Amino acid sequence: MGSQLALKSRIASTSSLEKIFNAQEMIASSHIAKARKVAMDAKPYSDAIFDAVQAVVAHTHVNHRIAVGDETNPRVAVLALTADRGMAGAYTSSIIRETEDLLARLDAKGKQPELYVYGRRGVTYYKYRNRAIADTWEGDTDKPGVEIAEAISKALIDAYMTPADQGGVSELYIVYTEFINMVSQKVRVLRMLPVEIVTPEVEDEGPINAEDAPLARPLYSFEPSVDVVLDAILPKYIQSRIHECLLEAAASETASRQNAMHTATENARNLIDDLTRKLNSSRQAAITQELTEIIGSADALNTKEE
Amino acid sequence: MMAGSESPTMQVNIVAADRPVWHGEARSVTIPASEGGMGILPNHEPVLTVIKQGMVTVVSADGTRQTLEVADGFISFDSNKLTVAVERAGDVRPAASDDE
Repeated sequence: MGSQLALKSRIASTSSLEKIFNAQEMIASSHIAKARKVAMDAKPYSDAIFDAVQAVVAHTHVNHRIAVGDETNPRVAVLALTADRGMAGAYTSSIIRETEDLLARLDAKGKQPELYVYGRRGVTYYKYRNRAIADTWEGDTDKPGVEIAEAISKALIDAYMTPADQGGVSELYIVYTEFINMVSQKVRVLRMLPVEIVTPEVEDEGPINAEDAPLARPLYSFEPSVDVVLDAILPKYIQSRIHECLLEAAASETASRQNAMHTATENARNLIDDLTRKLNSSRQAAITQELTEIIGSADALNTKEE
Repeated sequence: MMAGSESPTMQVNIVAADRPVWHGEARSVTIPASEGGMGILPNHEPVLTVIKQGMVTVVSADGTRQTLEVADGFISFDSNKLTVAVERAGDVRPAASDDE
């Protein structure tokens, strides 16, 4: 039976694939720890910014451009966070599906969405389909640094700050993958701009003196002035939130790559088992056939002699 | 500044966009505020100010001076806690001499 040779070569190729998948899985799981550390390291900064924004908001009524949108401008920006590399299961395709949904929803509302794409897979997807893309970023999705967050937020804030008649946008949506835990990640749409500033809740800090208890928050003095502080802090706030999204997306990407590679490894093993079984039975069939032939011919010789 | 072992201190937390840089107790901190250098002593009034590129000098509780380079950020001070949040920060180094 010629198929034995074919089965053997399939087993060989599947087992080398299995090795690759297994290695990818291990690489991904080692990256997870790193991604988590990077996210932890960036947290104190984003907390500090958040606190500062809250302090400013508690103090003044914010009608900064970043906090108040321009309702009359129909142009909006949509940023989709995809992966640079494949082998991450449905990671990029879920983002693309959600992005398409969002674009359709915005279209239905009479808005004109402009697409910004982050990650090579998403860029090639849209380029191949000849879709208009406002801007793209590639090459950093598994370890997004401050620089890339800075570049992205600068481009988007510039687009947002540009007046409507010069092609500015009035809103910014981000489609990214939320990292819930190692096995589950969820695609989310976040409206980043205009900033929704939540009114600060009453602090739960223990020691509050009797005289400043009704204030709950200290009265800050702002230097040089509230407006300068706001101008400086709000873009940083946006940048740090975008950075947070990038980091979370990176962690999700790694986790879904690890899951995908884990499944692929299992599949390869099952396939090897199946093929080995087939190989064995085909070898056995060949042996049986040879035996029957030998016995048959021996029988024939024996009957002749008699 | 008052010498002596029980000079007041404040909590200082210096964070960069990608990592926490330094935290601890300090007697005084000098920051490059947007309108010139600004020294902060414990129990300063609550303040939120923008800082530009420059050097932050920290005199920690045991009297040692440390400096680090920072760029582009802000500080906030309240309830005797100073937070310095900057985009980029260099490494913390012991200050060379006593004045600057």
